[in-house]
Amino acid sequence: MKKLVALLLAGAMAFSLAACGKSSGDEGNKAASGTEGGSKEEGGSEEDGSKEQESGKPYKAAFLVNGNLGDKSFYDSANEGLTRLKEDLGADVFDFKVEEMGGDPADEANWEPTLLDYCDTGEYDVIIIGTWQMYDALNTAYEMYPDQKFIFFDEPFDFEAAGNPDNIFNMMFKQNEVSYLVGAGAALMTTSDEMEGIDPSNSIIGFLGGMDGILINDFLVGYIQGAKDVNPDIQVAVAYVGDYIDSAKGKDLSLTQFQNGADVSFNVAGNAGLGLIEAASESGKYAFGVDSDQAALLPDYAASIPTSALKNIGNALYLAIQEDMEGNLQYGTTQSYGFAEGGVGLVLDAHYEEVLPESIRTKLAELQASIENGDIVVNSAYEMTTEEVEEVVNSVKIQ
Amino acid sequence: MLNGIFSVEFVNSILRATTPILFATMASAVAAKAGICNMALEGMMLLSALFGVLFSALGGGIFGTASGFSQFASFGFGFLLTVLVGGVIGLIFAFCILHMKADEILAAIALNLIASGGTVMLLMAVAGEKGASSSVASVAAPKVVIPLIGSIPVLGEILSGQNLLTWLSILAVIVMHIFLYKTPMGLKIRAVGENKNAAESVGISARKIQYIALVISGMLASMGGFYLSGGYMNMFTREMAAGRGYIALAASSMGADTPVGGFLVSILFGIAQAVANLMQLTTIPMQLIQMIPYLTTLIGLGIYSYARMKRRRKLLQSE
Repeated sequence: MKKLVALLLAGAMAFSLAACGKSSGDEGNKAASGTEGGSKEEGGSEEDGSKEQESGKPYKAAFLVNGNLGDKSFYDSANEGLTRLKEDLGADVFDFKVEEMGGDPADEANWEPTLLDYCDTGEYDVIIIGTWQMYDALNTAYEMYPDQKFIFFDEPFDFEAAGNPDNIFNMMFKQNEVSYLVGAGAALMTTSDEMEGIDPSNSIIGFLGGMDGILINDFLVGYIQGAKDVNPDIQVAVAYVGDYIDSAKGKDLSLTQFQNGADVSFNVAGNAGLGLIEAASESGKYAFGVDSDQAALLPDYAASIPTSALKNIGNALYLAIQEDMEGNLQYGTTQSYGFAEGGVGLVLDAHYEEVLPESIRTKLAELQASIENGDIVVNSAYEMTTEEVEEVVNSVKIQ
Repeated sequence: MLNGIFSVEFVNSILRATTPILFATMASAVAAKAGICNMALEGMMLLSALFGVLFSALGGGIFGTASGFSQFASFGFGFLLTVLVGGVIGLIFAFCILHMKADEILAAIALNLIASGGTVMLLMAVAGEKGASSSVASVAAPKVVIPLIGSIPVLGEILSGQNLLTWLSILAVIVMHIFLYKTPMGLKIRAVGENKNAAESVGISARKIQYIALVISGMLASMGGFYLSGGYMNMFTREMAAGRGYIALAASSMGADTPVGGFLVSILFGIAQAVANLMQLTTIPMQLIQMIPYLTTLIGLGIYSYARMKRRRKLLQSE
């Protein structure tokens, strides 16, 4: 018995460790958020990067994937952007190499050495890495190789704490902007009488997040703001799975939301979010997709997925590298790519037009235009305290 | 909130959450009774969740899915094959720790890691996907609609329309109870678990008994795994066991490794999970709500060890 209890304790500890691993990333987020939160500030020193294009020597980029290509999301998008740039400019002007480092826990130990190896070659004009999981590796690398340039995406880099290094370009995405549009869409849908399976009498929508962290809450804040702007009486049922893997729990949480009056929900919970999509399909309700075109990926459930919110990392890299070739990329700063820069967007294809009625689509297009020209400013969780985020969430809770 | 608790849907969500844990708890109990801590439940469930999808899709290919009967046949084919493979996984695990004398914890960790990476690899090889098996046309376990009873309000709504595997999990509790306490094999298993040497001294082959217990354990765990991807969800998603194997280990030990005790604790866990799900709709802070299932475990363990301590004291006093 003693042995068993000891084992259980060990199991519990392993669990909490795993949990820490996840949330420490979020905390890293939080810690970094105060300082630059998506604003485009000038860094300490100006990069005098008039990179001469010597003939015969192309600009070379290395893209180190801390996972694998084929995720039909993030990394594939980045790869697509780089490929497009290579095709557009020609291989003698721009070339790149992708290194798939693997995403399993066992591979993690290799990420930093691989990054350092690439820095050591000195062959690459820029090394592209991303996500909070690479933060520590980057922290080692940028100091050891001050002449190596890095593009670091989808996680705020704390320039101040690092002593304002001028060899990192921090690329962020305004997921709050695309979430705003999803929120507005959901709020319009839930009171619409043009759509099948929707009860227009109440204004309840749902949201399924992975973990209660700043990245997910950035989605949430935009989502609520968008929903409130089109319907001030909107109520939002917010649930967090607690991880990004438990799809069954995600499904249960979503079923609870749908049974309590929600007609539309938004999944930002990784694989656990697939539970929401199944729940929506089973209940005859709707779920917005995230990160990749989930309607195309899940044909069986497509009827329940009006559209998906995307981060177009490929677009952002395409722009940033071109800027860098002209010597105009502002190293030492964080730049956020939103609608205006093509960094985020909804999937606007035939399927979208088929599922959503025209009145809603028109309204969403108007809203997107307003965000692009600055008439609507979408709040960001990166610029808010935890209490402020809570206030926003509580303001739309189901009474 | 109260309306939510007194609804049929709430009971359904308890049963949904309980079913996979219950299977795994029975799997843990039978292994524990034979003196083995089966920490590999997590990996066994995860592997079976994937095999369930693949085999039932294979069944769908053989029997078709056009009629209700052919769907049932496809499910049955997939389910039986999954359980068979679950037994084989149990056998391999048993071979490692009994024959090759590997440490049972290390072997279990290895199996869990293999399951975590191997399922993704297999999914990639078979379906060309890494995250979920959405492109595999699997056949889920059917729901049992009981004709007349279904029309009784509330009770009928609960009894009718449950997943077949939910019924099977409850049946497993009864069968395991009878098996462990009313059959010669059950007696042998318990004897080996209680004292291996004493059992061997009366001519029982402890190794053989432990092999049998682990094969049964693997089969039960695989039923829980099948339910995850063919009942709870209708597809396999990466890492979808999400700690249920470990929770079952806790449930089993809290229930003193008896089937009935494990059943009660599993239900308790199911209720805790369902309440936590429902409470996310309220204004109670999320962090507190997510604590509920773990808090329940802690309190349960506390009560259990207090009761045990008291019983022991009484025993000592009476001697």
